[in-house]
Amino acid sequence: MSRESELKEKLKEWIIKNSRSEKVNEINNATKILEEKIVTSLQIMELIVYLEQLTGRPVNPDQLKPGAFSSIEHIYDVFYEGK
Amino acid sequence: MIYSDRLNLVSEKLSATSVKKYNNPYTTIEWPEQLDDKALCFSKDMISISRTPLFQDLTEEQVLKLALYEAVNFFSLNISGERELIAGLSKRLYKNYSPEMTEYIHHFLDEENKHMVWFGTFSEKYAGKVYQDKKIVFPRSYEEGEEDFLFFTKIVIFEEIVDRYNYLMAGDESLDPLVRQIHHQHHVDESRHLAFGREIVCHLYKEFSPRWSEETRDGISDYIKNYMVSTWKEYFNPDVYVDAGITDEAYELRELAWNSMSGFRKEISHKCVEFFQKKEFIKGEPEL
Repeated sequence: MSRESELKEKLKEWIIKNSRSEKVNEINNATKILEEKIVTSLQIMELIVYLEQLTGRPVNPDQLKPGAFSSIEHIYDVFYEGK
Repeated sequence: MIYSDRLNLVSEKLSATSVKKYNNPYTTIEWPEQLDDKALCFSKDMISISRTPLFQDLTEEQVLKLALYEAVNFFSLNISGERELIAGLSKRLYKNYSPEMTEYIHHFLDEENKHMVWFGTFSEKYAGKVYQDKKIVFPRSYEEGEEDFLFFTKIVIFEEIVDRYNYLMAGDESLDPLVRQIHHQHHVDESRHLAFGREIVCHLYKEFSPRWSEETRDGISDYIKNYMVSTWKEYFNPDVYVDAGITDEAYELRELAWNSMSGFRKEISHKCVEFFQKKEFIKGEPEL
């Protein structure tokens, strides 16, 4: 498994563990996790802590662009690829 | 306009007390150049990792350092909570609230600003930092009265927890006298803020909830319970463990600490949870 696939899989596992949505088992990397209410705004703080753990870099929420957490694909691009 | 005779009366009484207890934040507290290096800045049994095996192995010196950063984290999360509170209260000035309530909101704002002066000064002067919060708020739509109800409910949750910490630490003789004084001063003002918060959430719920759909009421119940959990999560900051130099595995330690303090969180939040259940704002228990 490539590093990219491994990280996306870890993010998916985190979402499955923490989501309260019944739709969580149907998600893929492109699923709109906020729009579909699979992850809530209150869970973002914990997701940020998890991303800091995975990347080893601090995250400043004030510098994030809108949509940074829209999908696993997008989270990977923003936090690992710096897009 | 949002008001009731009772809310106006409570607001008038609280404003009168705020005027009577008015203080100058720059003279109320004197800041020594250095803290007492033998005194704790945070109660030992309230330190987030105090119930993990690692804590038992720490030296006295390590505990003192950890206690300083736990205090800075506590003051930092107060700053971020009060920043949000001040923004929300300012937005409501001279809008939908009675003149009596508006007058009290002015005191509320003034007092929260003073607290931030104390918390910020302590953190910057003795630790050289304020921890940044990780909260993000996404815009959403609300039913009538729902946004105000949730805003004041979040204040009650935040302040109920903080005030228990203030009360307990103000009375802890093992703490540095400066730390105890900050907690004491905060507690004195906070008891008024809590009285106002509890009155207003009851009024808003009574006024608006009969018009809310069942889905909205269920959503509110879930939101309040989840907000309590996410508020508590901020008390477990991995950066504190790194800054105190006690571990290289701060995130793993955080998880251990979180799991070991469930009973403590329930105890501290007990009154608040009971209040929400009694008023039927929430169904069931938050997962503390």
